Amino acid sequence: MNIYDLIFYLFAALTLISAFFVVTNKNIVHSAFYLLFTFFGVAGIYVLLGADFVAIVQLIVYVGGILILLLFGVMLTNKITNVEIKTGTINIFSATIGVGLFAGVLLAAVLYAPWKVTLLQEPVSTTGILGNLLMNEYVLVFELLGIILLIALIGAASIARR
Amino acid sequence: MNFTSDLYLIYPEIVLTATLIVVVLFDLIFKRSQSWLPVLSLTGILAAFIFVVMQYGTNLPAFEYSTKNSLLSIDNLSTYFKGIILVTSFFIVLFSIFSSEIKSCKDRHGEYYSLLVGMMIGMFFLVSSNDLILIYLSMELLSLSSYVLSGFVKKSIRNSEASLKYVIYGSVSSGIMLFGISLLYGLTGTTNLNEINTILRGTNVIDISFILSIFMILAGFGFKISVVPFHFWTPDVYEGSPITITAYLSVASKAAGFAVLIRFIKSVFFSGISQGGYWNLLSYFDWQVVLVLISIVTMTLGNFTALWQDNLKRMLAYSSIAHAGYILLGVAVLSDQGITSVLIYFAIYMFMNLGAFLVVMLIANKIGSENIDDYRGLGYSIPFLGTVLAIFLVSLTGLPPTAGFIAKLYLFVALVDAKMIVVAIIALLNTVVSLYYYIRVLKNMYLVKDVIKTVHIQLKPLSFVTILLLVIPVLLFGIYFTPIVDFAKLSIQILGL
Repeated sequence: MNIYDLIFYLFAALTLISAFFVVTNKNIVHSAFYLLFTFFGVAGIYVLLGADFVAIVQLIVYVGGILILLLFGVMLTNKITNVEIKTGTINIFSATIGVGLFAGVLLAAVLYAPWKVTLLQEPVSTTGILGNLLMNEYVLVFELLGIILLIALIGAASIARR
Repeated sequence: MNFTSDLYLIYPEIVLTATLIVVVLFDLIFKRSQSWLPVLSLTGILAAFIFVVMQYGTNLPAFEYSTKNSLLSIDNLSTYFKGIILVTSFFIVLFSIFSSEIKSCKDRHGEYYSLLVGMMIGMFFLVSSNDLILIYLSMELLSLSSYVLSGFVKKSIRNSEASLKYVIYGSVSSGIMLFGISLLYGLTGTTNLNEINTILRGTNVIDISFILSIFMILAGFGFKISVVPFHFWTPDVYEGSPITITAYLSVASKAAGFAVLIRFIKSVFFSGISQGGYWNLLSYFDWQVVLVLISIVTMTLGNFTALWQDNLKRMLAYSSIAHAGYILLGVAVLSDQGITSVLIYFAIYMFMNLGAFLVVMLIANKIGSENIDDYRGLGYSIPFLGTVLAIFLVSLTGLPPTAGFIAKLYLFVALVDAKMIVVAIIALLNTVVSLYYYIRVLKNMYLVKDVIKTVHIQLKPLSFVTILLLVIPVLLFGIYFTPIVDFAKLSIQILGL
């Protein structure tokens, strides 16, 4: 195990453990703070994979933006911290079996898959390449994303107004 | 790689996007004249329809980024489904003009129509996309708009419940689908459907992870067409949403889901065509067994659960699950004939299902209920609507001389020709079951006479014309169906195969 693997497992553990606390914690403010570590761990894995642009976007948008919005939403909403999040019907037993099976199949698939392997390359800055791809080959996808954002804005406004 | 020269291939999509922007701006600038918004949307839909009609017969890849890899396929299959989506949208905008649910949100019509156009754009890209990234994104666009629309009437708790359930189920299934796409990308190194096909032909990648990734992608498609393991959202969402949106989801959204499923199966697994138009598929994944199993369970569950429903909207929701099962059987034949029967079924299903929802909506506008017990004696107090609803329900059952019979006939012929006799018999028995719950409504309307209350519905000219536009095709195609069959036979072409 080299230093690369060690760092990977560190970030993976950080992501998983904090994600576990996000869903099990009863206090929604604490959950939001645990989410910070989940996002941060994912950003670390992106850095390890050489995806520098995605990592920075993850930090700026998720850790910096969405989380702050989430916290503000919690703070500005009256009494939300006292609301019981859990519902009455929880089938722990069947849920565990279902999730366990799904996880097992996924794990087997990921471990034994004949992944398409490419040679290890020296990491280069991906921002320029990404910009080129988005503006040339995937320009249609890029424009469609614009429409999706517009629809999301209209939808959010429609939900928010009285 | 010259993209501006490909722009003429996506004129319908561009027209719809322009409509979206015009609707948003019009709503912001002319706050007072909200009644013009449906007119604007109808104009946009008609303009897009003209471009779609002009495009029919084109078989070209759009936005090619290297040889054989294109983001969009403009072929007859996608053009056919675009036509279905546009006709459905046209009727839904007409429905929205006289829906009292939508009228009750007087100042939010701008959002309603812009989200409706947003759904159309999503479905347009979904039916023609040839790349997993684009499939995922257009599906998100479609889902995002429909989440908001299904909870549009915020004063009603049922609406909000429908919206919330739709969001939760929708995001889980699209998450699973995205996971599947990422697995498939990891195995093949590409997201283009044709390129995946080339790789599958070359090397032997049969493996648990490949099968798993296909199942996970199937979860996303299955959610859109609401087949059995992924149908849980359907009754609640259909019951809770405004009727216009329920009708839209049950026809257009399903059509888009089926179009992308057919394209995915044929583009990724196709290896050749044998005598009689049967596809030879790569043997990594037994589509026939999987699809037949899913569709049998789907139609049986849909039909048997519909038997117990007292709410007409909920009953139609289960009936639409059952119809998705029938249509999936047409896909499961995996032949040109099967796809032809699917296309015929959709054209007819569109008219009869929209018609049934329209009559239910007009009655609910007046009596404020969709409960089957409130329909007692309605056949006598509103004879015209009663007769029309009877025609639509008989057609949904699949009895002659209505168009529903022709749809079922071609489906069963395709099944029998493919020597899937047992499956055809099961589907036939299901049709018999469905007769019970459709006729139950008619029984309540005509045989149970309620002397106490008499309902009078004064039909406006526009709603009268809309009903005629829906009921005439249902009767006409029941007798004179050659044009629709010929048209469907021409429309099964998929680009690159």
